[in-house]
Amino acid sequence: MSRIGVFICHCGENISRTVDVEQVAQAARQMVGVTYACDYKYMCSDPGQTLLKKAVAEHRLEGIVVAACSPRMHEKTFRNAAQAAGLNPFLCEMANIREHCSWVHDDRVEATAKATDIVHMLVERVRKNKKLIPITVPVTKRALIIGGGIAGIQAALDIADCGHQVVLVEREPSIGGHMAMLSETFPTLDCSQCIMTPRMVDVVNHPKITLHTYSEIESVDGYIGNFSITIKKKARSVDMAKCTGCGVCMEKCPQKKIPNEFDKNLGFRPAIYVPFPQAVPNTPVIDREHCTKFINGKCGVCQKVCGPGAVDYEQQDELIVEQVGAIVVATGFKLYDITEKPKGSAIKGYGEFGHGKIPDVIDGLTFERLASASGPTGGKIIRPSDGKEPKQVVFVQCVGSRAREKGISYCSKVCCMYTAKHTMLYKHKVHDGQAYVFFMDARTPGKSYDEFWRRAIEEEEAVYIRGMVSRVYQKGDKVVVMGSDIAVGVQVEIEADLVVLATAIQPRDGADTLAQKLGISYDKYNFYSEAHAKLRPVECATAGIYLAGACQGPKDIPDTVSQASAAAAKVMTLFSKDQLEREPIVARVNEKFCVGCLACKKVCAYGAVEEKEIRDRQGNLIRVVAYVNPGVCSGCGTCQATCPSKSVELDGYTDEQVMAMLETL
Amino acid sequence: MKNIKNTKMELSQETMNVGFIKKVEALSGSSVRRCFQCGKCSAGCPMRSFMDHPPNRIVRLIQLGQWERVLAGRSIWYCASCETCSTRCPNKVDLAAIMDALRKLSWDADGPSKESYVQLANKLFINNIKQYGRQYEMRLAAVFNVKSGQFLKDLMLGPKLLSKGKLKMFHSKNKNLAEIEKIFSRIEEMRKKGDAP
Repeated sequence: MSRIGVFICHCGENISRTVDVEQVAQAARQMVGVTYACDYKYMCSDPGQTLLKKAVAEHRLEGIVVAACSPRMHEKTFRNAAQAAGLNPFLCEMANIREHCSWVHDDRVEATAKATDIVHMLVERVRKNKKLIPITVPVTKRALIIGGGIAGIQAALDIADCGHQVVLVEREPSIGGHMAMLSETFPTLDCSQCIMTPRMVDVVNHPKITLHTYSEIESVDGYIGNFSITIKKKARSVDMAKCTGCGVCMEKCPQKKIPNEFDKNLGFRPAIYVPFPQAVPNTPVIDREHCTKFINGKCGVCQKVCGPGAVDYEQQDELIVEQVGAIVVATGFKLYDITEKPKGSAIKGYGEFGHGKIPDVIDGLTFERLASASGPTGGKIIRPSDGKEPKQVVFVQCVGSRAREKGISYCSKVCCMYTAKHTMLYKHKVHDGQAYVFFMDARTPGKSYDEFWRRAIEEEEAVYIRGMVSRVYQKGDKVVVMGSDIAVGVQVEIEADLVVLATAIQPRDGADTLAQKLGISYDKYNFYSEAHAKLRPVECATAGIYLAGACQGPKDIPDTVSQASAAAAKVMTLFSKDQLEREPIVARVNEKFCVGCLACKKVCAYGAVEEKEIRDRQGNLIRVVAYVNPGVCSGCGTCQATCPSKSVELDGYTDEQVMAMLETL
Repeated sequence: MKNIKNTKMELSQETMNVGFIKKVEALSGSSVRRCFQCGKCSAGCPMRSFMDHPPNRIVRLIQLGQWERVLAGRSIWYCASCETCSTRCPNKVDLAAIMDALRKLSWDADGPSKESYVQLANKLFINNIKQYGRQYEMRLAAVFNVKSGQFLKDLMLGPKLLSKGKLKMFHSKNKNLAEIEKIFSRIEEMRKKGDAP
């Protein structure tokens, strides 16, 4: 190819400030194969693109190099322009002289020389570029939602209402997540159960939604539009088809004193149980760890009393394979653990707050269960230690959050608001009680949020004290809180009956393992990373996988629901097409040279390399070679670098092209 | 009096005087709870450098019902009632009115604020008006110096003021003393009914 056009952009002054663009254009005209070169203030603007299209027609260009910003920014723009001008879009390449040159250098002469070099390299590459045709792959119009909290439920309902099949997978025996545990929700104080449970019922009744509770993701294969998911359905020991949810088994179970995790261990449950009365599905599950039948084989009461004969002790874990086209990850959060050795964390909890050993020092979720009408106390606020009504309650914000020493430097976002809510709920239930809040900052951005917080202080008379608590310790039957009011500048001591710690929000245990199965990225806290913080906030960098809720970062209910609906909209956009176009930058195996060592298969992170048998006309096997499935290949180039016989080549990045680029230097 | 400025606060429903908060709010007609401690009042206060507690801390102490700490300090007496704080407050807290209310409460409680002579001066000032129907500066200065135990305070200013006619040796009574008395008795009347603070 020898009719190449070079277009050099000033990017306003971003490039022309340090690079002499005219000189680069001059140099480009001297390069082998370059027919035309010019510079322009804004190449990406409409006049700039028109200039490019005109030049293609006038000079009969066969390849284009746009020397401007990063290809991540505008490659698509210029390839579309090239296509509009009648060129194959993959004959248009970008030379990055902004991020890689003008932005990082000061010396004008040297920067100009470097920009010329970059342009020269790209010209060499384009000379050896081939026309590529986009690959089309079919789309399975079925979505997988991981996590049945409010985020997963919202996304599932939105996608299902649009008419697509949805598979919802939940780890716990019931959907509902954390929102089902809450008492009332800020800033309107409407009952969480009242707005949550109808949606849970909608999910189970929806003809388009397949619900797998008490299940986990075992493995994920495939790519956008064509995922194959293996789900492990844990043995429930109760046949879901036969069970009518009458509850007799739970009444008769002799094991009654197992702490109820859903009630934050404040109440008790039997060994065969549903986590809470409004659970969906309303089918009990046997907790094999505590069930007498599974411990020593000596019970079996539930099986005897079960009318429909649904109890099945022989049930085994089951693996189900589902084919889906898109995945929404909505695995939610857990609360920071202040005990000495928090589960799954190397960082110690708070010794100064008693390491969780003081019974009347509880976390926010425990307070939610105390205040909830469906909670273990029926909504009566009592102290866990002696069941007395607390008259002085101290709330402490930012426990774990914004504490670099604990390895968490982020703000958990919801604590300011839920603590304000807690003070109100407390005041509504204990009229003669006094709530105190120790806080460092009050962060209440959100509609009607700041007014809500001020209401807690001005009308509900919560005493807010700015300053972090230094120590909490037991003294008699009281819990002494030592803090400081930094507005007054003196120490403050409160003898409290109950202390509620607003502990930090962290990703669920196992978030990293799931991310590795899905092939999505996560940050140092194990929160899942979005593709772009501002412009692609609900998509993963891995195509076809979307995020919703607190698994991506601390979020309140309105934000979670918004993000879930946004993720659902993204899935529906994907499902609006029958075929999906993929970039044809994929690896190809030269079967003549391939020796069939399959080293490429071992290194491929995407499972794109398969074995291919070459047979003669009689059907006799001659040899085995590698084959790259273009639908799966992501064009990373690892196989190309690994192949000992140099028989794998990545389209657009062939060895020949890379060598030619290097030789210009 | 013990210096309580820096001692630890033990907060409980007993130690937080809610009645005091309500009294200040009623007297001043301004909300105290509304303040969120931005510090703008202290930032613009011309008398801040003379105060032990800056104005924002006064409001904070009232919020916590710490009446002793508020009244024991000298801040309320150094307030010049310039109303800069009230004018600029983002939360419409009328701090000048609150300061007024605090001075009143301190007066009624025969204030724990003994370190300030402002209260004494104010008392003598009003007594003079009651007695003479106008101010009798010579007596005010003399009695103040005796009662505050600072006999020689500003003594050398006396001759200067006398020579310029700013200070009279003998008082001249207001001719309409009965009218002045009426004003005082009317206020007493209103106080009994609860119409005046």
